[in-house]
Amino acid sequence: MKKLMNKPSGFVDEMLEGLVAANPSLALSGETGRVVHRAKPIRSGKVGVVSGGGSGHLPLFTGYVGEGLLDSCSIGNVFEGPTVGSCMEAIRIANGSQGVLRLYGNYGGDRMNFDMAGEMLEDEGIRTTTVVGNDDVASAGPAERHKRRGVAGIIYAYKAAGALAETGADLDAVTAIAQKTVDRTRTIGVALSPCQVPGSDKPSFTLGENEIEMGMGIHGEPGIWRDTLREADAIADEMIERLLADKPEGAGQRASILVNSLGATPLEELFILYRRARGKLEAAGIEIVQPLVGHYATSMEMAGASISLCFVDEEIEALLAAPAHCPFWTVSA
Amino acid sequence: MSIAVSTIASAVARADDAMRGLEQVLNDADAKLGDGDTGGMLARVIGKMAEVDLTSAADPGVALMQLAKAATIATGSSLGTLFATGLLAAGREAKGRETIVAGDLSGLVATARDAMIARGGAALGDKTVLDSLDAVAEALKGVKTPGEAAKAAAKAAADALDAFRNRPNRIGRARMFGDQTIGIDDPGMLAIKELSAALAG
Repeated sequence: MKKLMNKPSGFVDEMLEGLVAANPSLALSGETGRVVHRAKPIRSGKVGVVSGGGSGHLPLFTGYVGEGLLDSCSIGNVFEGPTVGSCMEAIRIANGSQGVLRLYGNYGGDRMNFDMAGEMLEDEGIRTTTVVGNDDVASAGPAERHKRRGVAGIIYAYKAAGALAETGADLDAVTAIAQKTVDRTRTIGVALSPCQVPGSDKPSFTLGENEIEMGMGIHGEPGIWRDTLREADAIADEMIERLLADKPEGAGQRASILVNSLGATPLEELFILYRRARGKLEAAGIEIVQPLVGHYATSMEMAGASISLCFVDEEIEALLAAPAHCPFWTVSA
Repeated sequence: MSIAVSTIASAVARADDAMRGLEQVLNDADAKLGDGDTGGMLARVIGKMAEVDLTSAADPGVALMQLAKAATIATGSSLGTLFATGLLAAGREAKGRETIVAGDLSGLVATARDAMIARGGAALGDKTVLDSLDAVAEALKGVKTPGEAAKAAAKAAADALDAFRNRPNRIGRARMFGDQTIGIDDPGMLAIKELSAALAG
């Protein structure tokens, strides 16, 4: 696979250097050099919201550092968890004396590292809480939702928790809104072609020339079925049906929808999916609020798309509409 | 004979030396099932630990905690984080005791093992580094001197590696290979064997 890069070993650090150089609202620091945070120091008295994960998913995770969203983010090598040390640094930077919410995707390594970072920071008197994103409906059944992986839908929790934190709400309230948003968000993906970790001599997984995989994870984890490519409308229908079959408890008739590219799939194709998905939701009596279509959580050059639904209540809807600004997502007042 | 901060510092220095020869061996072992980075990762972690100046550590427990913090800077991998978790737990237990004696080691290794089980979710019998530590904790029961302890630990770690070789890995990335892991050494277990052999000299 062709990539615009120098030495594979410099891929992440050079990417981060460029990211912060292009976006003066961001800064890069820490002994590990793997913490991206707001250039402006955290306001004393504000609860911090921290995320983190492996590289290779931009705009996730570092791209969501900004006003009304994340305060800081620790970042690992491509598809590898961030180090415990970088998680600790990210949490310290986000600590405005009111505690810090750790909000990240449900992957074993990330959990271990954020848990350990939090435990070590207890000695420094920093209070932390945890909410993990687990929106991927293809990764486990509804009875085992705690085992599901976190994918694109986590950005809804970033938005809601980030907006509430800006109002001066306390750590328990910010944690509760993040958890409620995660609980009301569902995602499913479809993969069309694989991606390759820089420096690796082969793609992370293989898919036949005319094959797609419904439900495949963002690192190529096995999905629900693999078969020949079909028309976009049929794919959109199945994705929406699967999401609605997994509708969260307490969900009403209003939802935000995110049609997200996994990397290589162009906006044109996303809009073709969106057109059908919207019709299908309206037919099911669901009113769409704040639709998002674009590149929000990717796996480098992987082709495919994911659809997320966040079933809003009044509180979440207002927080999604609150002003926010980061390099890849701006919501104006 | 007791174990002081200086004993810990010299053990770390020996492990750091030993990693020069072991890095490639462990990478090769890991490449059979994973991405072949176990040796490089452990060399980074132990290298960071060797850079820590332990002379100001008040007691052996504090020294272990400082080493755990150093380890966390260098790793994002599950094995490295588990390693740091074990050191931190043992350090917390030993903290406040001016010296530890050989007879305390079994309990400290068991504490590390239990903290690692709690953090990582693996169970004994899954063919991981936990099985090596379990064997080492058992073998250290009743040892009288640090020299005796080092020899007992090295033998237990080698025996555990042999005992698990023909069993399948039941957790982590290696689990996906199922019965293909039979006959293959777990790289974490191999690391414990080789490092404890190096410490026993």
